[in-house]
Amino acid sequence: MTQHDRSPLAPRPVSLDPITIEVIGSALASIVDETGEALVRASYSTNIKERRDCSTALFDREGRTLCQAEHIPIHLGSFIEFVPKILAEHVLEDIRAGDVFIGNDAYAGGGTHLPDIVLAEPIFIDASLVAWTVNLAHHSDFADRAHAHIYQEGLRIPPIRLYRESVVNKDVLDLILLNCQVPRERLSDLRAQMAANRVGVRRFTDLCARHGTQTVLAAGDALLDYAERKMRAGLAALPDGTYRFEDIFDNLDWPEALPLAVDITISGDEITLQFDAPPQVRAGINMTYTALLATTYYIVKSVVDPTILPNAGLARPITVKAPKGSVVNCAHPAAVNGRVQTCQRVSDLILGAMAQAVPERVSACTNSACTVAVFAGTREAGPQKDTLWVYLETIGGGGGARPNADGLDGIHVHATNTSNLPIEALEVEYPLILMKYELVDGSAGAGTYRGGMGLRRVYRATEDCRIRIDITRLQQGSWGLMGGGRGGTSRIVPGPGVAPFDMGDGVLKAGQWFEIISPGGGGYGDPANRAPQTIADDARDQITCAAM
Amino acid sequence: MGKWRVGVDSGGTFTDVCMFDETARQVKVWKVSSTPDDPSRGIAQGVEEGLKAYTAVSADAPLTDVAYLGHGTTVATNALIEHRGAKLGLITTQGFRDLLEIGRQKRPSLYDMFAQKPRTLVPRHLRFEVAERLLHDGTVDIALDEAAVRAAAKSMAKLQVEAVAICFLYAFVNPAHEARAAEIVAHELPDVFICTSHEIAPEFREFERLSTATVNSYLGPIMHRYIKRLSQRFNDLGLVSAPHLTQSNGGVVSFDAAARTPVRSVLSGPSTGVVAAEVIGLQAGYRDIITFDMGGTSSDVALMRGGHTTQANEAVVHGYPIKAPMLDIHTVGAGGGSIAHIDTGGFLKVGPRSAGADPGPVCYGRGNHEPTVTDANIVLQVLNPTHILGGRLQIHRDLAVRAMQVMADRLGLGVMETAQGIISVVTANMARAIRVISVQRGHDPRNYALMAFGGAGPLHAVRLAQELDIGKVFIPRNPGTLCAMGLLLTDLRANFSVTRLTPITADHVDDLSHSLQAVATQANAWFDGEGIAQDAQRVILSIDIRYEGQNYELSIPVHTVALTAAVVADTITRFEAEHSRMYGFIAEGEKINAVTFRAEAIGLVDKADLPERPMAGPDPQPAKIGQRDVWFPETENFTPSLIYSRDMMTPGMILPGPAVIEQMDTTTLVPPGWTATVDRFENLIMEIA
Repeated sequence: MTQHDRSPLAPRPVSLDPITIEVIGSALASIVDETGEALVRASYSTNIKERRDCSTALFDREGRTLCQAEHIPIHLGSFIEFVPKILAEHVLEDIRAGDVFIGNDAYAGGGTHLPDIVLAEPIFIDASLVAWTVNLAHHSDFADRAHAHIYQEGLRIPPIRLYRESVVNKDVLDLILLNCQVPRERLSDLRAQMAANRVGVRRFTDLCARHGTQTVLAAGDALLDYAERKMRAGLAALPDGTYRFEDIFDNLDWPEALPLAVDITISGDEITLQFDAPPQVRAGINMTYTALLATTYYIVKSVVDPTILPNAGLARPITVKAPKGSVVNCAHPAAVNGRVQTCQRVSDLILGAMAQAVPERVSACTNSACTVAVFAGTREAGPQKDTLWVYLETIGGGGGARPNADGLDGIHVHATNTSNLPIEALEVEYPLILMKYELVDGSAGAGTYRGGMGLRRVYRATEDCRIRIDITRLQQGSWGLMGGGRGGTSRIVPGPGVAPFDMGDGVLKAGQWFEIISPGGGGYGDPANRAPQTIADDARDQITCAAM
Repeated sequence: MGKWRVGVDSGGTFTDVCMFDETARQVKVWKVSSTPDDPSRGIAQGVEEGLKAYTAVSADAPLTDVAYLGHGTTVATNALIEHRGAKLGLITTQGFRDLLEIGRQKRPSLYDMFAQKPRTLVPRHLRFEVAERLLHDGTVDIALDEAAVRAAAKSMAKLQVEAVAICFLYAFVNPAHEARAAEIVAHELPDVFICTSHEIAPEFREFERLSTATVNSYLGPIMHRYIKRLSQRFNDLGLVSAPHLTQSNGGVVSFDAAARTPVRSVLSGPSTGVVAAEVIGLQAGYRDIITFDMGGTSSDVALMRGGHTTQANEAVVHGYPIKAPMLDIHTVGAGGGSIAHIDTGGFLKVGPRSAGADPGPVCYGRGNHEPTVTDANIVLQVLNPTHILGGRLQIHRDLAVRAMQVMADRLGLGVMETAQGIISVVTANMARAIRVISVQRGHDPRNYALMAFGGAGPLHAVRLAQELDIGKVFIPRNPGTLCAMGLLLTDLRANFSVTRLTPITADHVDDLSHSLQAVATQANAWFDGEGIAQDAQRVILSIDIRYEGQNYELSIPVHTVALTAAVVADTITRFEAEHSRMYGFIAEGEKINAVTFRAEAIGLVDKADLPERPMAGPDPQPAKIGQRDVWFPETENFTPSLIYSRDMMTPGMILPGPAVIEQMDTTTLVPPGWTATVDRFENLIMEIA
């Protein structure tokens, strides 16, 4: 992230007491909460309205995060370069109130994968640009594609104007919609994103009217400093040293497992993470540098101090290095659609290294996955007959066991945190029937505290469809800590008559079914030390752990 | 018929009794200590003592003269928080016994990997799957395996469950399988509390419906026992009229109804206070009010628009999603006992930890050294620096100043600035809660009056109003006992709903009318069951509406079950206006669907009508009881301020700030630049001078 400690655009002479800053910080948090709620409630796609796969934030005029709502950590990756890219590509004097910028590209737009479409609107007070309201929605589109390079993955949109002074740029909109498989949903979700930004502009303007623009901007700066101080205080309390961790990253996008490693050096109140990874591959699992930053900031904050404000200040003591052109720091034209699996693995890699420094403050390995299932087909009946449909969902797995408690069962971990779609909504919207949704016996890593259990979902198709599954931990379960065992592995089980999936790609005929099993979490501590009462409860509740 | 109307609100520490003398038209208040081991004892004692204090009662039947008794309790809420519910079994659709644990698949905290999920109320070995499956249109895909239901019931009998929840997919569309399963279970387990999901929450989203049915069953046996014991005590005391219990929607229902639906009372605690605020506000001529109820550990806020408090149909209560009609009350963990601290980034934070009643704030001198919001008010001398609670509690201001000095040194601020800083930070926390129920729902708080009550509300009301640019603050006569008061002012209320996805077009007028008729019929059946007279019956109808493709609805009132094309067109117009107000746009050309049809049935109850007193002169001198120096940020100094007794104030008095108004259960601050006037109902209205 580009950091300007002293902004060239305007000096901020106001000096503030910590109480005023705290009061304004509360107000900023209210604004991003409200814009997020507006986005979800006005949206149409199941991915936003029920699964809440979206985020909202406020940025200062240079594009530094002032405040991000507690939605999806990986979305920060798309945010942090977006405003700087706008400022780099457009003449500042020509940016006007009511302009709305749209973008998604991993290289020209600071994005992390193409379905995450960002909308940013500048906020003007007294004719000067003071801040940006920004939101991101994961549009479930660009499905059933190849991923050898980014040109196969969907429409690339650089940061361009979707609206000029509140008037829609119809040419741009039409071009985008023609490239989408479910244009009606895209249009509706974009409208919800617009509505959310309008709320952000209105609330931020009110806040400036109340406290004075200079005071709000100065408080914004001070909040960044504050997050930095807390991050430094937290890092200073960790033991200095260099900690290395390695793991093998297997997935359904690339035939070979990829070795990943990190060396973490904690020195005083700073931390450096040096990653090592193979060169980028012709598959969708590459991470852009911004995705790597967002992932790193997320997990470092979680370990060091979960209460640090999620703004750009927390990044200042963190240095992230990775070989350019590698899987974790890819270059054009690498494909990136499935980067979330890599983000999850990087998060666990960092946990593994931090466990050597502070084993009492980290969990064992989570299920390391964000298991993704994408269904696509052509509607065979109903009012939308002959139109395309795309349904994306992500499936949780086991959380890592903690030093004082079992891992959480069937949850989303790390860079993502989306809801499931209610079955009673899924089956109304798509030609699918869910036959089973349960915790997987034998998937928890054994331990004094066991890992969380993975999930099983069994789907039956009522119309023909194509399926794409992204998953990891097929070969080796998630690692335990301090003598804890590995979690259970993941798998795809085709039902009768269904052809085996080819690297995650499958086809279902109407009436056929298949199941997905997500991985479990690693255990913590020697299983021999598990409390006898807990062992009895496990037996009573038919909970078994993965074999050691 | 007797001549007393009684409200009794039983909290963790005190049981408040509000009594309205129908002859003298006067409200009397009585307070006793609660008896947590058996709350019914304290309740019975409180009512008996209270009546004895003000009237001659017969020794063997002291409650004979009670014409109406309304009761609010936290029994269900506490059982849920403390996990003291029943041993509970669940019967559900094959393949989905873990749904209760999986929930929505999200982790409880985004960044804190040590956070725990709420405990699952039914352990896995008590969750039974049976073969059956409905499709989304209600057709049967797999028939109910009745033998499996019977086997599950027998197993549960062996395991000695006290309650059973039954939840199948799509039971809100077709309840047949659930109803049949309930019959079988009732036959096998005749003495067990049974709840089906279609009865308690007939709406889509299976996890939330399941969770609601589970919580209801979990609390059912607890509520049954409680009500049985309390009814017995009231009988013994000679109560002739049927007692009533409050619900989260602010209304009351009969004891029998309350015992069947305890999940609908888990948020009843603050609801009657809001009902009282509604009535008191309307009587004084205020139709748009934000209520602010601040206690020792938390604050509750709600919004009343056009004379009606906004309602919600869903909330997450202590981690458990609940679908039930409720007043839209938002709670924040900030109260007078909230502890201030400096975090690792050097900023002042207040709460969520609270000093509670023991050891309490630093100024109580019971060993706490961390300053609280109350300590800040003591240091500033906004609160009486020597005694509070009408002189019953001695205060050690020196201890509070010492603790504040430690904090001030670390912040590099003065002691007074630090104390005022604590007030500012806690005010910001509460303002955030109010923004949730106002701006986030499309309401501008500047158009509302702030009504403050609870022990600490009146003290912080003007500061909060300033933070939100609210120009008018309203303090009722008895801010400390508003919940008990609300029990005298509320009606019988029940809510009915049916979910049927129906396009809102002229072609579907009959379908829409039919659904409305269905809920209206349920409301009528309820009126009959509760024995509510024809002229006391009111029904409020509404339809939850959304654009096709959305999943969140806006509730639009309708005034008749007999829809016409014109009424439908008008309903669409009002939906669009509401959508535009909430989200800033209308989706031209998109289809509009009705989702849930609702009827709120109201059985009007004769209420206490609050007495009006004649206006007297504006001079507040007769109510003056002293003067002290209070530190104000406006003057950045101690400023001599007059102290008034609320009990000695009369309608018409005008008090310029700075002033402090003391009464037994609360203190009201009138900062410089504000003026307080007493209205003819003895409410205090504060405005910018």
